[in-house]
Order: sequence, then C-alpha cells, then structure tokens
Amino acid sequence: MNEFFIRSLDASTIFTIAAIGELIGQRSGVINVGVEGVMLFGATLGFITAQVTGSYLLGFLVGIAIGALLGLLHGFFSVTLGGDQVVSGMGIWIMGFGLTTYIGNPYTGPLGMDRIPTFLGVSPFFYVGVALVVITWFVLSKTSLGLQIRSVGENPSVAEVSGVNVSRTRYWCSITGGMLMGFAGAVYALNYNPVWNYNFLMGWGFIALALVFFSMWNPFIMLAGSLLFGTLWQLSLNPQLVLPGLFSRYVWRTVPFAITLIVLFSMSMKWFRTRWGAAKPEALGLPYVKE
Amino acid sequence: MRIGSYELTLKKRETLAGWQAAVISTLAVVFALLLFSLVFVQAEANPLEAYKEIFDYAFFNPFGLPLTINRFIFLLLCACAFIIPIRAGLWNIGMTGQLYAGALSAFAVLFAFGVKGAKSAEYPGELIIPLMVVASMLGAVVVGTIAGYLKGKYNVNEIVVTMMLNFIMFWLVSFMIKDGGPFMNPGGRGESFELAKSLYAPLYKDVPFTVVLALGFALLLYWVFAKTKLGYQIRAYGQNPTAAEYAGISGVKISVLVFVLGAALAGLAGYHYFAAVPGVYKIARSYNFQGDLAFYGIICGLISQGNPIAAIPVALLFGGLTNGGRFVQGKLKLGFGIDYALLGVLMITLVAFQFFYRYQVVLVNTRKETPDE
Amino acid sequence: MLLDEIKRGDTVLEAQGITKRFPGVVANDKIDFEINAGEVHAILGENGAGKTTLMNILFGLYQPDEGELIVGGKAVKFKSPLDAIDLGIGMVHQHRKLVPAHTVIENIILGHPRAGTILNLKRAEEEITALSRKYGFKIDLRAKVWQISEGEKQLVEILKALYRGAKVLILDEPTSALTPIETEVLMESIKTMSNEDLAIVPFITHKLPIVLAISDRVTVLRRGKVVNRIKTSEATERSLAREMVGREVIFRVERKKVERGQPILEIENLSALSDKGVTAVDKMSFTIHEGEIFGIAGISGNGQRELVEVIAGLRKELEGKVTLDGRDITQASSLERWQAGIGYIPADRIDVGSIGEFSLIENLMMNYYFDEEFSRGGTLDYRKMRELTNEIIEEFSVATPGPETTAKSLSGGNLQKVILGRVLSRKPRLVIADLPSQGLDVGATEFVRNKLMEAKQEKAGVLLISEDLDEILSMSDWVAPVYEGVIMGILPGEAAKREDVGALMAGLELGGGAS
Repeated sequence: MNEFFIRSLDASTIFTIAAIGELIGQRSGVINVGVEGVMLFGATLGFITAQVTGSYLLGFLVGIAIGALLGLLHGFFSVTLGGDQVVSGMGIWIMGFGLTTYIGNPYTGPLGMDRIPTFLGVSPFFYVGVALVVITWFVLSKTSLGLQIRSVGENPSVAEVSGVNVSRTRYWCSITGGMLMGFAGAVYALNYNPVWNYNFLMGWGFIALALVFFSMWNPFIMLAGSLLFGTLWQLSLNPQLVLPGLFSRYVWRTVPFAITLIVLFSMSMKWFRTRWGAAKPEALGLPYVKE
Repeated sequence: MRIGSYELTLKKRETLAGWQAAVISTLAVVFALLLFSLVFVQAEANPLEAYKEIFDYAFFNPFGLPLTINRFIFLLLCACAFIIPIRAGLWNIGMTGQLYAGALSAFAVLFAFGVKGAKSAEYPGELIIPLMVVASMLGAVVVGTIAGYLKGKYNVNEIVVTMMLNFIMFWLVSFMIKDGGPFMNPGGRGESFELAKSLYAPLYKDVPFTVVLALGFALLLYWVFAKTKLGYQIRAYGQNPTAAEYAGISGVKISVLVFVLGAALAGLAGYHYFAAVPGVYKIARSYNFQGDLAFYGIICGLISQGNPIAAIPVALLFGGLTNGGRFVQGKLKLGFGIDYALLGVLMITLVAFQFFYRYQVVLVNTRKETPDE
Repeated sequence: MLLDEIKRGDTVLEAQGITKRFPGVVANDKIDFEINAGEVHAILGENGAGKTTLMNILFGLYQPDEGELIVGGKAVKFKSPLDAIDLGIGMVHQHRKLVPAHTVIENIILGHPRAGTILNLKRAEEEITALSRKYGFKIDLRAKVWQISEGEKQLVEILKALYRGAKVLILDEPTSALTPIETEVLMESIKTMSNEDLAIVPFITHKLPIVLAISDRVTVLRRGKVVNRIKTSEATERSLAREMVGREVIFRVERKKVERGQPILEIENLSALSDKGVTAVDKMSFTIHEGEIFGIAGISGNGQRELVEVIAGLRKELEGKVTLDGRDITQASSLERWQAGIGYIPADRIDVGSIGEFSLIENLMMNYYFDEEFSRGGTLDYRKMRELTNEIIEEFSVATPGPETTAKSLSGGNLQKVILGRVLSRKPRLVIADLPSQGLDVGATEFVRNKLMEAKQEKAGVLLISEDLDEILSMSDWVAPVYEGVIMGILPGEAAKREDVGALMAGLELGGGAS
C-alpha cells in the first residue's frame, strides 16, 4: 500500500511538471496542445542520451533542451508567423509521435542504469514539482514579470501600449513551458518508467493539458489535480488494490481518461462557469497582431 | 530581403484561389519529401533510390498496388471524418477511437449472429455485411456524439475529449479481444476471432466495395458544402460562430451534427480495415497500427484545405507513401517506423506552410516609393 | 526627461509636415501644429479624416513617412509607444486599454519601470492615492476594472498616464462612452489638469459643444489635411462643423408622421443576466406599435445588448414575456423569430453581423438560407441569391466591385449598408437597430437613418438603440433612457428634453411630473 502511494506521487510529479509548463504558456495566451509530443521528445531523447552516455544529468539536460527547442518552434509558428496555435500544437504532437517512434525504436527496452535514489522515500522530482508550483504561483501573482505575463495573456494590446514586449513575453513563456514539458518527459523515461517502448506515454500529455483547463489556471488547484490523477493512474494499473477481481485490467486502464472527461464536463457546467469562468486568460489562443 | 532596388516582402492574402491552395499544398508535400530524404541519408540509403522503390512498389507493383488502394480508402474516409468538423471549426482527432468503435460494432454483429471462429461456415453475407457496415457507422457515431455534444452544449475542448475517447476505445478493444474478452480468438492469441469466408466483403479486382462508398462520400460531401443549406450552415459556423448564431444557426446542433457525420465515416473506415481488406479480416494484436494510420487523415484533411475532392489524390499519395515506406524499410534494411517518421515530417512541414495560405511573397521595386533612400 | 522643466505657455510638442501614406491613401498630409503647456488643444475631424493615424504617430505606434516631431525643442523619433511614454506623452484610448480581470492598481503599474521585480503594491497605492487626490479623482484602487463604470475607467487611464509622468495627455474621443454627468466631471478634471501645466490634446469627432467648452485652441482636419487652426473663442459650433465636413451639415433627419397602428412588440417584466451572471436587464416593460420608432437611450453597458439579444432569441430570459404580433415568442428560437418577422441589425458589424471570408452573396444568405424561396429541398438557389444581392447593392448604393467580393474588404459604412439591406429587404415587422450609425461618416449616417425612417413609414416597428442623444431625439417617437438595466421612463420623442433624457440616463430621477 505504501508502495502504491509512492508510485502515485511519482506519477503525479510528471503531470505536475508538464502541466505547470502548459499553464505558464497559457497564462501568456499561448496554448500548446502538443504537450504529449514535447514530452515524447524529451522522454525519448533523454532516454537515449542517458543510455548512450551513462549520465542521468545529460539525459535530463537533453530532455529540457529539446523541450526548449520545441517551445521555440511553437513560439515561432504562433507568435512570429501568427498562425493558428492549435494547428501548430497538433503539428508538434504528431511530429513528436511519429519521429520518436522511429528514433527510439532501436533503443526499445529497459534503460539499464541504477535507479535514481529517492529522498525521504519519494522520488526527488516530486519535491522539484512542488517547488515549481510554488515558484510559478509566486512569480505570476507577486512579481512585476508575472503581472506582465498575465496582462499579455489577458489583453496583449493593453500590455503593448503599457510598454510590455508582447512577442518576447510569449516566446519566453512558450520556451519555458516547453522546457518543463521536455523535463517531465525525461522524468518519465529516466525515473518513473525507464523502459522505452513505442508511444509509451499513452496520453499523459493530454491529461496534463486537461489538468490546466480544470485548474482554473491556478497552480495549486493544478497540483491537487495532479495528485488525484497520479493516484488514479496508479489505481488503473493496480486495480487489485481496491477492488480485486472486478472488471478486466483493460477496463481499468480507461478510468483516468473517463474521469478526465467527467471532470471537464462538470467544470463546464453553468454553476462553475459563472463562478470561475473569468479565470480563463481572455486572449488564450489568439494571435496578437500589432495595430 | 533586398536584391538591388527590389525587395522581397510579405503581403497578406485577400483571397486564396483554389489553384493557389493547390500549388502551396503541392509545394508543402514536395518540401516534406525533400526534408525526409535526410532520414534516408542518415540511414545510409540513397534517397532517390528509396523514393523510386517506394513509388514503384506502391503504384506499379501487382502486390503493392492493392495494398495502396486499401490504405487509400481508409485514409480518404479518415480525411473526410476530419474535414467535416474542421469546416465547422472543430477538431476531430478522434478518428482512432471512432474507427475502433466501428470495428467493435461490426464484430458485435458477427458475435450476435454466432460467428466465432469457424472460417468455412456459411452465413447470409447479403444480410450480415450491410448490417456490419451500418453497425460500424452507428457505433462510431455514439463515440463521436459525446465529443460534439460536450463541445456544443458545454464548450468542452474537443481536442482533449476526442483524445481521451481514443485512449478509452483503445483499451476497450484490448478488453474485447484479449484476456478472455468476448471477441477473443478461440486460439487465444490476444486477437479477435476471424471472419467467416462467406462474410468477406465483396471484391472487384482485389478491391473491396468500400472504395465506392469512400469515393461516393467524398463527392457527396463536396456537393453538400458547395450547394446545400446544411453545408452553408456548417461553413458559416466554422468561419464565425457568433455570426452564425445571430443568423439562427444553432451551435449545439452543428457541433453534434458534424461529429455525428464525421464519426460515421471514421466508423466505416474501421469496418473497412478490419473486415473488408483482404488478408486482415480480424482485429489483430497490433490494431494500434490502424489507429495510428488514422492520423494521416488529419494531414490529408489539412493539406486538402478541407476540400473533400482534393483529399482524394492526397489520400492516394499518402496511402502509397506509407505502404511503400513499409516496403523499403524491409528492402533497404532501415529502422522500424519509417512511415511514422514520415508522418511527423509531413505534419510539421505542413504547419510551417500554413503561413503561405495566409501570406504571399511579393517582389516590390522600392526605388519608386522612397526616392531619398 | 525633456519635459520636466516646462512652464506654462512653453511649446511642449510640435509636429512639422507630418505625412503618412497607406496603400491607396494619404492618411496625413503635411500636418503642422504645436501644443503648449497648460493648454487644451482639440483636434477635430470626421471618421477617416486622419485623426487616428495622427494620434498613433504622436504616441509612437506609427512612424511618419515624412516630417518631424519636436518634443521640448528637440526632434525625436519614436520607435514604439515606450519612447513616447519615456518623453512624457500619455495616451488615453477610446477603446479602453485596461485589463478587465486585473485590479485598478495592477493596471496602473503594469509596465511601469518602478513597479519593482517583486510588486510593491503598498507603495504604489500610496503614490497613486496622492496623485488622484491632487486632481480630485475618486477611485477604488483595489476594485477589479470590470467592476467599475466607464467614467471611472477613463480616470484610471488618465491616472495611469500621469503616474508614468505624462506632461502631454492625448485623449481619444474622451466623452464617447460617458453619460452627460460623467462628461461634466471629466471636463472639470481636464480644467484642473491644464491648470497644473499639463498639455491636453483631445481628439474629437463630432461632439462640438465639448470642444467649445474645454479647449483653448482647435485644429480641424479634413481628408488628412489641416483645414484650420483657430482660437476656440473665435469659433462657433456652426463654423467648426462646416470646416470639418466641408459643407453645410443638416443633421436633421426628417421625422415622418405615421399613424400609430397595432402593437407589434410587447415586452412584459423582462429580466436577463449578463455573461458575468449579474442582472443586466431588470424588469423592463414596453410596447412598440406599427409605424413607430422606439429609442432606447443610454451609455453602452446598461443592459441594451442583453435586451436586444433576448428579443432576438440569442439570450435566455430570466423572467418575463416577449410577444410579437400577439404571439408569445418567449421560448422561440432565434431562427423562429427571424421567420416570425424580427429583423436584427447588430451593433458589431464584423463579429456578429457578417462573415468576413464569405462573399456578399453568402453574407446575404445569412438571413435568407432558411426561406423556402431560396432553399428548395435543402439546396441553395445561388442564382436567385445573386440577383437579390445585386438588387441590394443597387438600392443601398453599396460601393463594391461586385457580389463576389468578400465582406471583410468592405469599409464600415458599406458593410453596414449590406447588413441594413439584408435585414430590411425581408420587410420585417420589427427592426432592431443596435447602434446603427456607430463609427460611420456623415453621409453613411444620414443614409442609415433615412432607411430606418422608411421602414417606419412602411409600418414596421423600430427598436433603436443608441448612445447618441442627437440620433435618439431626432428619430424616435418614444424615448426610453436606460440605466443599469432599468428603463428610467418613457418620454414622447418630440417633447422630450435633452437635459431630462441625460439625467435619466445617468440614473437620476426627474424632479417632478415626468411620466
């Protein structure tokens, strides 16, 4: 049972880091629906680097770097070219899915390195995730930079006439977001489940994306959501812990996805919308064209 | 960029004529294939030779061509399943889940008729095959409606919803065909039971009848968008939902409708690949492959700019490329997943080329306009 | 900062030969003027006269093709608004440049160099409070911007500019969204500020009385050129209007007498919520008869939009009843209402009234696709639709290359004519005209008003929503001022007094006797 909780926290860590990356981008008005693609890249390249060089550190750095690169690419498509952010995000996802399947295939199998030591029984990345949540909250709500990011996400033309560089802000948020997503992927492949396999993320990135939607763009609610989904994910893998013998294991695997749907649906109902609807960044997904 | 007194600048397009879109789309594909040569080079294969092999096998080889055509049918249906919602401004990336639902429903019909295993048993095909087709479409519609309704009524992001449904359906297929699931092959190989021979889809020169359905639906769709009230309502909603609501077009109705129609075609694609393609006739262990192939439908839909007739040649090309890609992968001893890599390269190139649908590069003579400089 | 040592009467900002060209037009043609400290210098001009371009040049959003800006005696080149702000030029935009979801303070300190890495809200609050006390502004600094009134938002923008050290304040249409009473408060503030040696430059389209009341000098623009520079004391409303438009202006639309007929629209005790979930329409009741224009006067945001949407079937009512020609349509869908004879001309022409990428034919189809005549068995009759489009282009004198042109390529006035033609050609029983002449030039405005008057003569009922008191008073048979979702009274159009309507719009009760 204790093992179960630890695995749940480990799983939630990956949701947390990826979702906080997405949240930062969305707060500046850039939506990246390609979280899964960025994570796949971070996971696969991080995995390969670590296996080839034998260095965890290099693995993580490469994961973060490829994330930054994809964040930059997404920024380029959506800020500089002013294109549809959904198209760009879909492109990044499908590119990640397609290319990592090809690139990673020769490395199919376990990582074959000593496990990263735990800290107080839990993976050290759990603490990193919590720290990221706190830092993000602090930066967004208490600092001048955070005010600028929020303003860019709410109303870029206001930010521009107030002397905020909208493009630069959005670029940096997209890049930072990408780095975190790539990092989350690397944590998955190097720590949580160090066995490379075709499309081994199986929807983590999309759940992270959904988490941002129902976090009301609040890092703490998002953290709570991550913990819930980390637990759900573990539960779906180990249903015998709660309800042994009920349903096939495959049916259990659908549970996190079904719950995501149910939560998204209930939070879109009128009751929530009138109370929390205002939290959504007004300019989310809209390209900004200078007047 | 300056060349002498001329300057290359970007101009926003006022309109995009059909032929311009076609040129840009063709350029995008050509560029992607050039870019993809790098993959061949990296794998120490000659790109020219590789492409020649791909096209030879895909379009001129007696074994390859029928496979290409089967993929073409599948991709065209998936492309249309993507196109209908995208014309209403909605993203259906749930073809995968919808086609799984279609396949499961088709097999449920078999199950209901007691077809389970015996390959040689005689069944009334003329009754059961149409039932399978209809069931596959209806099964997919159930899944698609969830996305359309949640989007229309509650404005839940349809990308997340369709993706979640993809995973749910993926695991449900596993449940049905593995570990003693109802559709499991009696041989117990983690795949579904096989069709009885008498229920194989009718073929004409190795091509199943679904080709007629796919082409027919593409043409029909084109007409619907161009000439009908329904098509007008969908397009109006896609261009400007607020204005459409103002004109009395119900957003909920349109959202549900486009997902119902799109999913029905995706379900048909599921029937096609699992119950009509010669040599398959079952839901195999590696059913994820067909699910992944459906993502090419997104690319077909985007490259053809939502035009179902333009999607026909595009689907044929990609049917051939993926099929030939698998072939050269074996022949030239390349790594696994060439077709996946191509999917990725095509997609990102296409995204980059979206820019040229909105802007054009023009050459301006700057001397005239600014005399002082 | 160049402007720190400025004294009253010094020239703070000078424009010399400013020229700006856009493809096909010269928006600003060799514009010269200068602004002194302690002076209110109005720039007057019609829509399309080049005001906006000039303003954007002064604020660094555009760079001029020719000419120079001189600030505090030094020629300057602005690369972005930031350069202008640094030199002490502040701008208050017509379309509020504030983030509604943020607090007043957050809005004021956004992008301010002294905001600090970690926000020091306390210090900012003290400084801003001191500043607003100096000019006599009263604003709750911790309120969210979406909660405060339009007048207060205006003051917040002024405060924001002042907090960043503005010595020159550019005001774009400063009174356009204000009630008459808020306008007076603003004019007071402008006087106080100019006494503090600030130079103030209001850009104004047509509210001539305001120009006369607050400005010291006026520069009149027409078609990108300066046509006159004059001391306000030497100008009259009439002379300014003539210079601005280039001909004598007769703003009067002749009010046609039409016999009052059957009731068409009856609104009973109607309430509705806004998107934010607060009551926007509060127990409204009124009736519109055949051949009648019913004018709702009020500043935007007092429930007009919600009222119109409820009547058009685009918003759910909270309670109450809507009756059209004796038939209860409260539960009818918007499509059923179109078919029952409601014709709705929306305020937002681009986002609601048209589909930019569609041709004019397909735009006209928006109100016709559901008619049997144009869609037999589900297929649309494009040929018939093209004929109708050509007729409307002709009758409403739409300037366009042809019916295949996209809506987004039309100018505002032409687009409005298309929408007007589309709606009126259906011969609706009830015409809802929401801000029908907003943003149009004089010619198009006259055209629109005359067409509405024609509809009335053809026995339609017209619900006219407007912020422009002149429009309301000259057109309506009945005037209903609204304030915060409440109809403050229903006055007969010909007898309604301007001051009364203004007071009611501001939420004041009338002294005695008015019905």
